[in-house]
Amino acid sequence: MIRAMAFRNLQEVARFVITLGVALILGAIIIQLSGREASAAYRALFESALGSRLALADSLAVSTPLILTGLATAVAFRTGVFNVGVEGSLYMGAFAAAWVGFTWPNTPSGLLIPAAILAGGLAGSLWGLIPGTLKAWLDVDEIVTTIMMNYIAVSFTSYLVNYPFAVPGLANAMSPMVPSSIHLPRLLPPSQLHAGFILALLCALGVGVLFSRTTWGFEFNLQGSNPIFARWAGVRSPRVILTAMGLSGFLGGLAGAFQILGVHYRFIANFSPGYGYDGIAIALLGRTTAFGTLVGALLFGALRNGASGLELFAGIPLELVRILEAVIILMVTAEATIRLKGKKIPISVEREG
Amino acid sequence: MAYLEMRGITKRFPGVIANDHVDFSVEEGEIHALVGENGAGKTTLMRILYGLESPDEGIIRLGGRAVRIPNPQAAIRLGIGMVHQHFQLVPSFTALENIVLNREPRRGPLLDRQHARCALETLIERLGLEVDLGARISELSVGERQRVEILKLLYRNARLIILDEPTTVLTPQETHALFAMLRRLKEEGRTIIFISHRLSEVMEIADRVTVLRRGRVVGVRSVASTDERELARMMVGEVAAIARQACRSLENAPPALIVRDVTLAEIPGRLSLKGLSFEVRRGEILGVAGVEGNGQQELVELLAGLRFPQKGQILLDGKDITFMDVRGRRRHGLAVIPPDRLQEGLSLPAPVWANLIATRYHLPPFSHLGLLNRALIRSYAAQLIQKFEVMVPSIDAPALALSGGNLQRLIIAREVSTPPRVLIAAHPTRGLDMRATQAIRKLLLELAGQGTAVLLISTDIDELLALSDRLLVLHRGEIVGFLPISQADPESLGLLMAGRRLERRG
Repeated sequence: MIRAMAFRNLQEVARFVITLGVALILGAIIIQLSGREASAAYRALFESALGSRLALADSLAVSTPLILTGLATAVAFRTGVFNVGVEGSLYMGAFAAAWVGFTWPNTPSGLLIPAAILAGGLAGSLWGLIPGTLKAWLDVDEIVTTIMMNYIAVSFTSYLVNYPFAVPGLANAMSPMVPSSIHLPRLLPPSQLHAGFILALLCALGVGVLFSRTTWGFEFNLQGSNPIFARWAGVRSPRVILTAMGLSGFLGGLAGAFQILGVHYRFIANFSPGYGYDGIAIALLGRTTAFGTLVGALLFGALRNGASGLELFAGIPLELVRILEAVIILMVTAEATIRLKGKKIPISVEREG
Repeated sequence: MAYLEMRGITKRFPGVIANDHVDFSVEEGEIHALVGENGAGKTTLMRILYGLESPDEGIIRLGGRAVRIPNPQAAIRLGIGMVHQHFQLVPSFTALENIVLNREPRRGPLLDRQHARCALETLIERLGLEVDLGARISELSVGERQRVEILKLLYRNARLIILDEPTTVLTPQETHALFAMLRRLKEEGRTIIFISHRLSEVMEIADRVTVLRRGRVVGVRSVASTDERELARMMVGEVAAIARQACRSLENAPPALIVRDVTLAEIPGRLSLKGLSFEVRRGEILGVAGVEGNGQQELVELLAGLRFPQKGQILLDGKDITFMDVRGRRRHGLAVIPPDRLQEGLSLPAPVWANLIATRYHLPPFSHLGLLNRALIRSYAAQLIQKFEVMVPSIDAPALALSGGNLQRLIIAREVSTPPRVLIAAHPTRGLDMRATQAIRKLLLELAGQGTAVLLISTDIDELLALSDRLLVLHRGEIVGFLPISQADPESLGLLMAGRRLERRG
């Protein structure tokens, strides 16, 4: 039995490596076609992603929000809720954390930091609960609502820093700075790696435990793998969907809060390059497991960070790394499709009449 | 020489033989009825003929030539058409567009509506049909949609038309119109295979009848030389007299489940239930007979707590559970073997252990303060699969890896691991082989022996007669009769199921 499980894990690893390998090969072809040396490009990529302590630290810093948005997405997908609204939760969480910071600047940091983080999480959570409620009680399609909620969150936070919380004399749409007492400590200066990374790792651990050892996780799995059976078994589906959406939003909110408290120190309109959407690809790459999502986020972080070096040293535009990412995403979805086709479920047997 | 000849057709599914060396032949220009209970193999046989399934053994001859039908396109080329129980029309297209779909007369890249309309109108006129060609499918009634389906076949020039239970969805008036059309098609020399289990309709429309039971042909009759009683007996079979436990005295046993005048409104895709009243005593097996789709699904959903009645009351051991949810009912000792094993009874991607505790993971000792006790759950799961002889590769394997019989054992193991007060068993042996069937039946009898009240819902009359103490018959959401087992025989039961009220015998 243990051997069977080890074999399955081995398969998962093999799948991951093959996906990455094929993406790298396709990427190499594209780089060669664009008239550059693929091997040199990859060397530059590797160097600037993992080549030194500083490079590594920067990669981890880039990974930090991705770990959290990946986990947020994984929690929802597990439950069969296609929450693509993590981006919106991230914006709401980011603003809430900044707001706590610049509103009570003189509170002792021992109180202020937890308060700001919690505010970020809760804001994200509430944002997720709106489409969650619509889905749970009225069966409104969550993909549509969560996408719309993203637009609302981005525009609403932008409005907030442009009008009610506008800083006089500042051209850009930004909130006031948060006090330095609330900054998350940097782990390896001058790298941007901050304590939020450790907290993100703890979240991954927590989600892992949640999935495998709690009744909540059990309900997520049951609801996600067969919602009809879940109802027959007595699972209170609306409540489970709400829990998942609330938790998903919470993690998304944390991602936003950490970016503010660890990197930007103020809320900036449109600050996210799409961390919430990256979380979707990462969660899928990680098969919606906590560990897989963590690995996927670290990989994406390294790629992103390496991309800057690629441009600097190999003269390869950033867009090529984006293409590499896109190829990975393509591989993940293609592989998922192949798996679904291979798994034929013998339903016809039952439906004789 | 018969027009269509299917010889020695055998089709096996995992754990089930759907067709067991079936010989089936149809003469040109006749209306041939194919009858049998649910699961008798009618649909499988016709799916083979239409190229949707490939037979494991057997040959098909059409017009004297051996043919191979690997897919529906091939069937259509041979002039075979099929109207499925679930219509295959594009709701947003008009009737005309659906009919010519894939065979469009074209003018350049565009659909030549004029030409299509012309061709169809002559067809419609000849058959005396009423079809609004310009209406969208979504605007049409079920009867009209069926006519569109048939027109689709005629437009493709089908000579042999298969109708899979065409009347189940129709009102009596629509059925009448359908039959009139079938007669005209017959006059044109077309051949029709009519799948049904409504014997009165078979007697009315068919020339000959082939009866299937448990995947085998029981006999072929010409309608002129048979009657409903004989057909019912053939369909249902002589009952193997498996002696129940010597007539247990249930007269004094208290009722465990009481259903009082319960009414459930119709929702899309579901029947309504009208004024159901019955009770099941402790230790009693009450059989619910009826042709599938006459309210069984709704009844199970109602009792399981998935839907709530508009009127009436449900009592479990004296406690009113009418508006209690699934979890509450289960806590009060209700267990359910759902009708659709793969959808309602299990999560196929989930591991075996999770399926085994899916109804009680939230209770001690399986979890405490939201944390699962994994070690205990694993040993509990291992115990259950051993006790109920479920063959699994490992308790971590997904349920997907199990065969049909083992999936059902898994469900039953979960539901009866602690003997319930009331067990709702819907189609507990459907599609299972003999060995698994016998084991499950034995288990149900044992449970009743221990005092569980069992409501056994089945379309298998053998099963109902072998296990039940009493029978009730459902027809279109109503109870049309109660029978003590001593007075139940396949013949009268078959007639009741077909909607005939029992005439009182002297």
